[in-house]
Amino acid sequence: MSALKINNLYRYFGNLQAVNGVTFEIPHGSVCGFVGANGAGKTTTMRILATLDYPTLGSAEVCGINVVHHPAEVRRLIGWMPDHFGNYEHMTVLEYLDFYARALGYKGKERRDRIQEVMEFTDLIPLAERFSNKLSKGMTQRLGLGRALLHDPQVLIMDEPAAGLDPKARVELKHLIRVLAKEGKTIFISSHILSELGEMCDSLLFINNGRIVHHGDAETLRRSSDTMGGVLYDVQVDGKPESVSDWCILQPNVEFLEARKTGGRIRIDTQDPMKAADVLARMVKDGLRITEFHREQRNLEDAFIDILGRLDAGQDAITPPPLPEEKLMVEG
Amino acid sequence: MTLSHLTDFPDRISPMLVKELRQGLRAKTFIVVFLTLQVFLGIMLLSASATSSSDRAGSVISGMIFTFFSIAVLVVQPIRGVAALSSEIKGNTIDMMVLTRLSAWRIVFGKWVALISQSALILSTIIPYLILRYFFGGMNLVGEIVFLALLFITSMALTAITVGLSGSSSAVIRAIIPLFGTPLLFIGLISMMFDGGGRQLIDTCSLDSPQSLIAVGIYILAIAYLGGSALSLGASLIAPAAENHSSFRRIVALTGMLGMLAAIYFSTIDRTLSLLLICLIATPAILIALTESALLVPTVCQPFVKRGAVGKAIGNFLYPGLASGIIFTVLIAAIGITACLIKPSLSASNEFYAVILAYLGALLFPAVIQAFFFRGDGQRVANYLLLMIGSGILTGILSALTEAMSNRDFLWLFVWNPTVLMSMVGMGRFDRDALLIAAISMNLIFVTILFIKAISLMKGNREMILQAEEERGASLGQSKL
Repeated sequence: MSALKINNLYRYFGNLQAVNGVTFEIPHGSVCGFVGANGAGKTTTMRILATLDYPTLGSAEVCGINVVHHPAEVRRLIGWMPDHFGNYEHMTVLEYLDFYARALGYKGKERRDRIQEVMEFTDLIPLAERFSNKLSKGMTQRLGLGRALLHDPQVLIMDEPAAGLDPKARVELKHLIRVLAKEGKTIFISSHILSELGEMCDSLLFINNGRIVHHGDAETLRRSSDTMGGVLYDVQVDGKPESVSDWCILQPNVEFLEARKTGGRIRIDTQDPMKAADVLARMVKDGLRITEFHREQRNLEDAFIDILGRLDAGQDAITPPPLPEEKLMVEG
Repeated sequence: MTLSHLTDFPDRISPMLVKELRQGLRAKTFIVVFLTLQVFLGIMLLSASATSSSDRAGSVISGMIFTFFSIAVLVVQPIRGVAALSSEIKGNTIDMMVLTRLSAWRIVFGKWVALISQSALILSTIIPYLILRYFFGGMNLVGEIVFLALLFITSMALTAITVGLSGSSSAVIRAIIPLFGTPLLFIGLISMMFDGGGRQLIDTCSLDSPQSLIAVGIYILAIAYLGGSALSLGASLIAPAAENHSSFRRIVALTGMLGMLAAIYFSTIDRTLSLLLICLIATPAILIALTESALLVPTVCQPFVKRGAVGKAIGNFLYPGLASGIIFTVLIAAIGITACLIKPSLSASNEFYAVILAYLGALLFPAVIQAFFFRGDGQRVANYLLLMIGSGILTGILSALTEAMSNRDFLWLFVWNPTVLMSMVGMGRFDRDALLIAAISMNLIFVTILFIKAISLMKGNREMILQAEEERGASLGQSKL
């Protein structure tokens, strides 16, 4: 049985198709990254899994339990960390966790032990008496994670937990997620920072316009994108950086991707290193004063852009079945 | 770390109450109100004792105590409820609460109890001043204690209304409460202080006659029903689709209406009082039923489905959601009209029926407009209340125009607006039969439009009910195996 299972899920807000026929499964004990642009349908899908929203059509299950039909059971299994949440005025970190522990049904010593455990794990003990609305973003995220872990959930759903964090807080959060993953918790995490997801996640789900466009592990994604999308090179020149882009425009099989301080990043549509050598030779022959020319590792952002590019070109598009007419009427 | 600090409230107290008390008792508003009240009352008693030769000193002190107490518990404390749920929604914390074992009702109830507890704290601190005031003489002991209790109960209901409406995401609605409610209450309080109205109220509260007992009893019941309805509305506004708060609320209203019907039939209950009570029960019930979300999920259909055909038939009135809300409204309206017709003493004139039907129309009118112009579930309550206020404002403008103009017949152009129709009846210058026909026609049109809306929504509901039946069938099959 999967920890998370979504089958042909649709969610419409009036005429807006937020989630459009999404299907995927995530096995127990794995960490899955959920990637997509703003408005792609990540938060809506996660909110449905967290029983906070309902699907227009389709089903979503957590550990085999339907989120719409048995929300109370599902809530015992999940920890939910939204992308942003306000903290209470006039309430300390300790009181904040105490409130949620009480609300989750913990009593007496068990409640205090649970709070102690969570505070130790998230390193909140030094902040215990600090008012919760006076915390930094990183501390707030740790508090949010502590709250989500109070009832020791099997599945943790985290919506953009690293958004707005400074590098130190990001590293701390990443460490906590790694520890939780080692403990065997299933973690479903969305983020814009693909490189970090690649390091943490067993698999990645790419969503675009409410549809899943890729589901696989980071390495496969990089490799498949490599074979499909050519090889990337960093080119630095002595002179005008624009000379690289100007040169690329006139070349077949060479694409200028992005400008850098003294040059740019280019893609050569071949895996053959000899062809890359030919390109370098042509550059030199055409008068470009090359100071650096080296192959770059394709990152997940490149892979994601490639996938979106292929979708725009009409390849690999997954067309979900249309939503029944009466469903649209109900929504109105 | 001082985890022992977490034992300040025992486990049996609701988590919401613990949270709200921890926050509320540290809130500046509460501290300012509490200290200001003490300072005012202290100064007032000192100055009164300095001039205690006056015979009226006692009643003046009573008036002052009640006025300051009223401002604190009837104005300030309810206004604090305006942000109770909206601040949670805005801060994205309501979702996190919903994911705990707290139901929407416990969240709303906890918020309300916390505010009431603070009002009770204010009440307890004025008791020493009342004891001191006793020595100034001229005190109606029972009357003043009962009056104080009624003020507190009224505060409970007003706080319930603001807490309930704070579940609406519309800032306009939340602003309307302090903008309109506060001046009205201030005017009431000032008149109480200076016109001797307070003395009359205290005498009414003395419980020395059956009428006084009945009046106080009915007031408490009415306030409890209104407050309960408002809190239930708040719970519905923040509840996830799988929580059903509608059925119980509707059963209470239905029981109240049937009780009134029986009371009118079997007793010689006063006509004005019975009408007032019918309106009091029906108004919040209809308002909430017509502003419910269109959504129905299989989980909430289960309790009805498992009772077979009878359960499903009852469900058409009691399922949460707008479709059954419309059918329930028609049922409540039918009972109300029957209650008016049932005794000849109640059926007075065409004018009387026109007013009753126009009042019903005024409750249906915003829902009819919403059926035409507003799609989706967002801010249904806010839109309903704003349309109702807009309709009232239009009537006010038209009434002002009729004062300035010699020809009042142009009001017929606006007879589609039930509040205008009501004011036309009140003017007494229009043909009563024509007004009654207009009121009947208007209600028939409104009910027809709402029925069409209900039928279109029921198509979706039917699918949910079928799903609930399938699930029930599957679970029965499993249990047999």
